[in-house]
Amino acid sequence: MSARRWGQDAGWWLLILPAFLLMTAFYIAPIAQVLAISFTEPSPGLGNYERLFTSESVQRVIITTLRICTITTALALLLGYVLAYRIALASESARRWWILAVLVPLWISVLVRAFAWVTLLRRQGLVNNALMDTGIISEPLQLVWNEFGIIVGMVHYMVPYAVLPLLASMREIDPRLLAAARGLGAPRFTIFRRIFLPLSLPGLIAAGVLVFIFSLGFYITPAILGGGKTLMVAEWIGLQILDLIRWGLGTMMATVLVVAILATLAIFSRLVDLRRVFGSGA
Amino acid sequence: MQTFQQDCIELAWRKFNRGEVSRRALLAGLAALGATATVGDAAAQAARNLVMVNWGGIANDGFGRFYGDPFAAANPGWRVVQDSTGPSAGRIRSMVESGRVTWDICDSSATSATLLGGLNLLNRIDYNVVDRNNVIGPTFALDHGAAPYSFSNVLVYDSTKFPNGGPTSWADFWDLRRFPGTRLLRRDAAGALDAAQMALGKDPRNLYPLDIRACIAKVREIRRNCVFWNSGSESEQFIRTGEAVMGQIWHTRAKVLEQESNGRFKHIWNQGILQPGIFVSPRGNPGGEMVQRLLASMLSNPEQQVELLKFLGNGPTNPRAAALVPEEFKRFNPTDPANAAVQVAQNGTWWGSVYAQANADYIDMVTG
Repeated sequence: MSARRWGQDAGWWLLILPAFLLMTAFYIAPIAQVLAISFTEPSPGLGNYERLFTSESVQRVIITTLRICTITTALALLLGYVLAYRIALASESARRWWILAVLVPLWISVLVRAFAWVTLLRRQGLVNNALMDTGIISEPLQLVWNEFGIIVGMVHYMVPYAVLPLLASMREIDPRLLAAARGLGAPRFTIFRRIFLPLSLPGLIAAGVLVFIFSLGFYITPAILGGGKTLMVAEWIGLQILDLIRWGLGTMMATVLVVAILATLAIFSRLVDLRRVFGSGA
Repeated sequence: MQTFQQDCIELAWRKFNRGEVSRRALLAGLAALGATATVGDAAAQAARNLVMVNWGGIANDGFGRFYGDPFAAANPGWRVVQDSTGPSAGRIRSMVESGRVTWDICDSSATSATLLGGLNLLNRIDYNVVDRNNVIGPTFALDHGAAPYSFSNVLVYDSTKFPNGGPTSWADFWDLRRFPGTRLLRRDAAGALDAAQMALGKDPRNLYPLDIRACIAKVREIRRNCVFWNSGSESEQFIRTGEAVMGQIWHTRAKVLEQESNGRFKHIWNQGILQPGIFVSPRGNPGGEMVQRLLASMLSNPEQQVELLKFLGNGPTNPRAAALVPEEFKRFNPTDPANAAVQVAQNGTWWGSVYAQANADYIDMVTG
């Protein structure tokens, strides 16, 4: 009986074997190689990881990245929550238009969007020109080539990723609960604070994890909108590998990035059902 | 199945390749076999390729026409094909270390040539084949690379912002009081620090070695009034859209700006940083020794170098070339004797020996 059971299982395992081998050969093996280089170059040992604690520049890149990602996540969640709230409570036909409006920017290339923001925000861009023409300011504002510009571009990219998990969790909230609270005489803000917000909290955490992890790996947006003065982890790794040929340092940072993402996922998987974040389950 | 005729053709090619028959005899023989129609195909298959790697854009076309074609014309049986994937130092290293080298010659730089040469990843230039006398100065012929073209980091400025006369030196570039406005520098230590050293007052004729620490501190002084570029198109945009009033950019971009703005954006050659466009050859390249002859051909053809100047703006490096440049192009030729005399020839070997650390420190300062 058990032998036959084993045979059945083996059959299923054989079916996923090609996919498993493909993943190992083209995904896991190169990552393992990256990990290996970080321990062997320029000399075997933990020298590269020691820089996490001794090198000011390595620390600065990490802190800059964390700061930008945290601010981006907070703003994207705020905007995303307002949007998702509006969409969740909209009528069926209006909701379709809202969702379309959220999804359309998602299909536009990140490169195009970054350049669009440059056009809007530069010294002689649309925003500065409009403000100067109406006499609100006399000197152009520094809206781009700094962290402000990067965050504008990143938040714009990330809002749809915040809206979708939030919307999923808000739509599961039973509207009769809200009606019951209103019937019992609760003011609107109390209903929101005591009922709606706690019930949407899993969605909020899920959206936060998703946006934060995505933000960690941003490359193009900071490179274009930062004016060269802000370096985030992804661009820093590229610089080490391609131009400075310090592969040990570059792969160390890549490993740290992967470990940081896995650790974030591990921690939050205890709080929320992460399968829902990435679209399965439900 | 192979026909008798095909076999004859194969034999004829073998003889030709061994040098037993001349090309003329081969073609006559093939014609006699009624195989002329297939000569083209067979020649294409038999032709051996040298792969030249550039950074894309119209360089692909320019390098093919002015470096590849003259060589192929002089060496029957060889062709030069262009690859525009961008031969960064890191990619050359990964290719050589993987043991599967598909590139023969790469458009690189003096710093990368020194860096990669030090790691034993490049072929040494064989100066028995490549003639040192075909370049205008020692910085254009290095151990692990040689330069068929030149370029310069020049000071460009918006003349409408400075009606009382523009900047004339790097000291002026650093003078925010006399010349207020945002500056533009490349996010690369090589070039920026050379200018900083001149702004610090060191004699340009005796500039190297640079005092890296002092130069980085000098750039830090104006950092808040600076934006930094990574690609040539970006540098052009920063000036064209008024984001910066003054910048250090490549002379090719300065030329485009000056011509397209009818002279509003001007550049000066004084204290420009003249650099060699160094080509390197990855160790274990598929074309073997032939690549040395390709490089020799690229250096020894002043006429083609002048054509490249007209087409892309890259300055010639052959000493006989400057005299061949038409009058209207002389103003934009970095190696024109009048322009070269006021510039500083960048010491690529010195830069290569300090580049990795100096550039890391520079970028720390820029992003700090």
